[in-house]
Amino acid sequence: TCEAEAARAAMGGSASLLPRETLGEYQELTFLSKQEILLAYKRFSELLPKEERENACSARVPKSQILTLPELRANPFQHRICRVFSTSDDRDDSMSFEDFLDMLSVFSDSATSDIKSHYAFRIFDFDDDGTLDRKDLEKLVNCLTGQGEESRLSNTEMEQLIRNILEESDIDKDGTINLAEFQHIVSRSPDFARYGGLQW
Amino acid sequence: MAAAAGSAAGKTGKSCKKYRTVKRHAGIYTYQEPPHSNSDDDIGEEKAESHDPEQIFQNIQYQKEIMSNIRCRPWPMRQKLRALRQAKEIVLKYEGRLTRTRGYQAAGAELWRKFIRLAYNFVVIFIPWEMRIKKIESHFGSGVASYFIFLRWLFGINIVLTIMTGAFVVLPELLAGAPFGSTVSKTIPKEQIASAQDLDTIWSLGGYLQYSVLFYGYYGHDRKIGKAGYRLPLAYFLVGMAVFAYSFIILLKKMAKNSRMSLASASDENYTFCWRLFCAWDYLIGNPEAAESKAAAIVNSIREAILEEQEKKKSKNLAVTISLRIIANILVLLSLAGSIYIIYFVVDRSQRLERTKKELTLWEKNEVSVVVSLITMIAPSAFELVAALEMYHPRTTLRFQLARVLVLYLGNLYSLIIALLDKVDSMSVTDSDVNTNASNSTAALATKTLSKEDNLSTTIPNVQIKRNSIVTLEGSRTQGLTVSDSLVNKTAPFNGRNPQDQCWETYVGQEMLKLSIIDMIFTVASILLIDFFRGLCVRYLSDCWCWDLESKFPEYGEFKIAENVLHLVYNQGMIWMGAFFSPCLPAFNVLKLIGLMYLRSWAVLTCNVPHQQVFRASRSNNFYLAMLLFMLFLCMLPTIFAIARYKPSLSCGPFSGQEKIYDIVSETIQNDFPTWFNTVITYISSPVVVLPALLLLFMLIYYLQSIARSLKFTNNQLRMKIQTERTEDKKKVVQMAVARIQNLDGNDKRPEQESDIISQESSVRSSTPRKNGSVLNFESPASKGTRIQTISQSVPQTVPSTDVARPVNATPTTSASLTPAPSVSSVQKPRNDNITNRYPSVVHGSASELCKTKPYTPVTFKKRTEDVHSEPLFRKGIRQVNPDALGAGAPVFVGHRPYATRYFLVNENESRKKSLRSTSRLQRHFRKGESGDIIELYPRNVRRYVVRTPHQMYSPHPSEDEEDDEELGREFITRSHRPRSLSDLRPAPRFYIGERADGHILMSKDLARVHYKSWDDGFELDLDRPPYAYKKVHLNYPEAHVKSKSKQKLEQSLTESDSISVESSSDPQNSSNDQYIQVIHSKEKYPKPGTKLTKKKSKNSVDLNMSESNELVCSNV
Repeated sequence: TCEAEAARAAMGGSASLLPRETLGEYQELTFLSKQEILLAYKRFSELLPKEERENACSARVPKSQILTLPELRANPFQHRICRVFSTSDDRDDSMSFEDFLDMLSVFSDSATSDIKSHYAFRIFDFDDDGTLDRKDLEKLVNCLTGQGEESRLSNTEMEQLIRNILEESDIDKDGTINLAEFQHIVSRSPDFARYGGLQW
Repeated sequence: MAAAAGSAAGKTGKSCKKYRTVKRHAGIYTYQEPPHSNSDDDIGEEKAESHDPEQIFQNIQYQKEIMSNIRCRPWPMRQKLRALRQAKEIVLKYEGRLTRTRGYQAAGAELWRKFIRLAYNFVVIFIPWEMRIKKIESHFGSGVASYFIFLRWLFGINIVLTIMTGAFVVLPELLAGAPFGSTVSKTIPKEQIASAQDLDTIWSLGGYLQYSVLFYGYYGHDRKIGKAGYRLPLAYFLVGMAVFAYSFIILLKKMAKNSRMSLASASDENYTFCWRLFCAWDYLIGNPEAAESKAAAIVNSIREAILEEQEKKKSKNLAVTISLRIIANILVLLSLAGSIYIIYFVVDRSQRLERTKKELTLWEKNEVSVVVSLITMIAPSAFELVAALEMYHPRTTLRFQLARVLVLYLGNLYSLIIALLDKVDSMSVTDSDVNTNASNSTAALATKTLSKEDNLSTTIPNVQIKRNSIVTLEGSRTQGLTVSDSLVNKTAPFNGRNPQDQCWETYVGQEMLKLSIIDMIFTVASILLIDFFRGLCVRYLSDCWCWDLESKFPEYGEFKIAENVLHLVYNQGMIWMGAFFSPCLPAFNVLKLIGLMYLRSWAVLTCNVPHQQVFRASRSNNFYLAMLLFMLFLCMLPTIFAIARYKPSLSCGPFSGQEKIYDIVSETIQNDFPTWFNTVITYISSPVVVLPALLLLFMLIYYLQSIARSLKFTNNQLRMKIQTERTEDKKKVVQMAVARIQNLDGNDKRPEQESDIISQESSVRSSTPRKNGSVLNFESPASKGTRIQTISQSVPQTVPSTDVARPVNATPTTSASLTPAPSVSSVQKPRNDNITNRYPSVVHGSASELCKTKPYTPVTFKKRTEDVHSEPLFRKGIRQVNPDALGAGAPVFVGHRPYATRYFLVNENESRKKSLRSTSRLQRHFRKGESGDIIELYPRNVRRYVVRTPHQMYSPHPSEDEEDDEELGREFITRSHRPRSLSDLRPAPRFYIGERADGHILMSKDLARVHYKSWDDGFELDLDRPPYAYKKVHLNYPEAHVKSKSKQKLEQSLTESDSISVESSSDPQNSSNDQYIQVIHSKEKYPKPGTKLTKKKSKNSVDLNMSESNELVCSNV
């Protein structure tokens, strides 16, 4: 339907506008306001090559383009974010407009902390196996600290850190953090809700 | 996956049940997103049934619920969109069937929702600076943004204050009050009119500004003004109080809201490390520089945490740090005291200078303000240096820093206030003197010059006192950072003879406004100097400088959130302090804040780098507010004190002629209210009422406090409760986790388990090769990998086997539904016998069993994980199973997804029981024993039992086999069939494994269906019942062998399937755990039956057949 609407809109001359109906649905499905969705649409179509802007609804933006967004460019989890939100079948992490909206919605101010923590968990779950195990945690720490020689944690530090983290969070003592545990911890963090935002 | 399976199974069920399951899905964490078809199924199914209006209504309600919170579901948009559309469709379709009122309600709700959305979209436009703040947030993170949000909030407060004062005081005065120049208090004295427009005068807020609505003195004291009789003085007083009341209320409200949020999270649980890791990144950061510094901050905080953790274990050198801290605090105190002393010294000096000198130099005029501003600029940096000595945790350092700066600001403000009040004190005294001795003013003039030297001597003539007051006035002005010179100049010549000059309220208002203006100037200057020009220099000079300016000495200015926020607090304090005496002060502050917002945001975006230390925004919010509240209280005190303590000026302002400012209230009540009201008021204000009221208040406070205490107590208790519940939750979590681990690591663990099994049954294996040469080929490559591969190849066969595996799990759950079975139990026994025959053959090939066990284990893993993920699956499976088990076994196979395999296993066991009428008793015993065994095993290893499940199936067989062999001669044939079925079972699990690894679960289903069809065909041809069909399928693969034996076997199998269902129902253990337990038993028992069987098999030619069947299977593969 999205394409049809877009086509209709294109015939009507206002090619870059989202059809009202779809817009309403997007509002119901996301935590974004109308203006924000339109802005997102604009931003999204700017990422597309000129010839594809006509039907931005059905187009996919490759990962490399998505990563040019300033918020993602600076984000150490950029690849993970693309992976988590992309619904691309061929796993190239490209994003459709709907994926894009999904992402913005989750990162928006008004999203519930539940959904934020859910996606945060998936972002941190580097191997997509449903739990945060030691390897995930290690990768997470490395992402945060960067690859620089001085900023990287030493092995002993890493060991200590991971041990402490598991001590705090691993309620069932299985050596990994599952979603329930993760959400439990994160929901108690004073910073999470505030930091979990993403703007453009 | 789980959710998908759940939805599929739910199709047959009623809609309300589905709701539940679906809800549970939503609640359960389905890591692998349900396939898109899932939600569609849910919704689509629900369309189908239910003509009962109540159900329809529920359905619609449910759909609406979906619609309303669909955005909270972690699904991809496409899926959400589809779900939403379908839900809408359903609602549209069915809503018409409901009663009209319900339809209208729904329509109304829909309208309302649209309206809300519209309103929301509309309101968003009007949030000021939203985009600007977001932009800053995206560059610098939420810490910096919190400053601007705080600023915006203050802006909102000031807007309200402005509206209050503007609408109720300023506008009425302008519209209805006496015009400018009509009264003495509203005209500029002749002596000043010449200089009234000088920049100098205007700068010091004299001249025209002094005699304007800006200040208290301009307002007329007429009781009522205008035609409508607006009571301006009363309004003035009430608005002045309302400003404080409103500020208090809004502040407390905000704080309560914040604390409610923080309290929820601030319990004693503290996940330092996790928070530092999981909540570290500020996803708002979009600026590479900010990202870099944020990353550095994160590394630091992590390192810090690690260090702290390590240091906890060490014993610190407390003496050094404590002594250092003491020294630091002493230094800070010294500098505070020094700054206050300097201020007083400068003020005193300027007063002396004023007294001795007629003409003051520019420096002398501005001495005080310059010194004070210098102190305010330098002291914080000094504090920062000192703080380095203390070696506190950075956050603690920040707190200390903030507290010290706050004290400094307060010192400044209070020194000003005290000086002002001093002035006011003397002024009011002189006022009264002027009153009595107004006629003597000329005489007093002569003594003026003399009086200059005398300070505050009451014995001196009145005029002298006046003079003194003026001098002190000047001093106080200078103290307040203001350029008071012009006033000094003015007042000096006029000698305070003019009554207008005695308007101390105006004077205070002037001082506050001046303070605010100068503060603004300093802010702008510091932003330009410290941030902008420094930034320019650093950026453009660093190329031609001998060191790197950007990273070494000057660097770029940091945005110091905490100090800037403190500055805002300070600024707001000035406004509160002066608002009563200068009604336009809030309006001025609004302008100031607007300017500050733009200037600061510009400066931040152009020339600042984010603060290295990230101040925790959310925590600090209440900290800021607490400081603001503190400030409000401290700033309100002097105003209230002045209002209560001093007599209003005689010749100016709305309260002139009254003894006290607040008399206006009682006066109004006396004069303008009916007498009864008056008497009521007098009663109320009499001690008779006031004292009990006070007592009552105290009691109330006490009561509330005790309630709060008890609430706290219950709070604690509840927390304890939560903790205990959480420990119980832990168990569940453990189960989930275990299941998930198995699920996820199934591939990895499988080999281990297999190896275990192998080791356990190694003896059995050794025997197997002998018996079944053909089998040997298959199994001999004992290495796991090879086996698995072979298994994967044997796809068609595997499918049925998987089906078999399913029944085990399903049976317990199904048992309830299957209850019709009781009669079956009798039937079971005879059937069991037959079954036993088949199984023995299986048992004979102990090697084959081993093979089987291996393949099965993976299957069981899958089942478990699936179970854990979605309970509904069980139900669905159960439903399906029931009809199948009772009616036709074949359909069951077909319908089942991979999980279903368990059911089949159970069925087989049961079927065995049925078939084995004679043996049935024996079997039961076995089971009981098994169950006991299982229980024991269960605690040991969850995983293990999974592995063992296959054994269980077989175990009953052996026992049966013995009897069967004895009883039935023809069963040889059947036996041969059975082994085949067993062989089928083995490959099936393998098959699944292979598929799993590939991740094509759906594919497996499809395959299963295909197979099913083929079975059906075969079934139709050969068999009466579905179970036959199932066997036939196997037969088909093995081909000729099977057919010859098939009929009898088929019958047995049929009976078996029936019996299975019955048994499951009859089994005391309904829970899935029980099932597992059974499985375990089978393992343990297995060796025994196996041995028996082997013996028997060796006797029988059937054994050979069995082996053949195995071979056949292999060949098929």
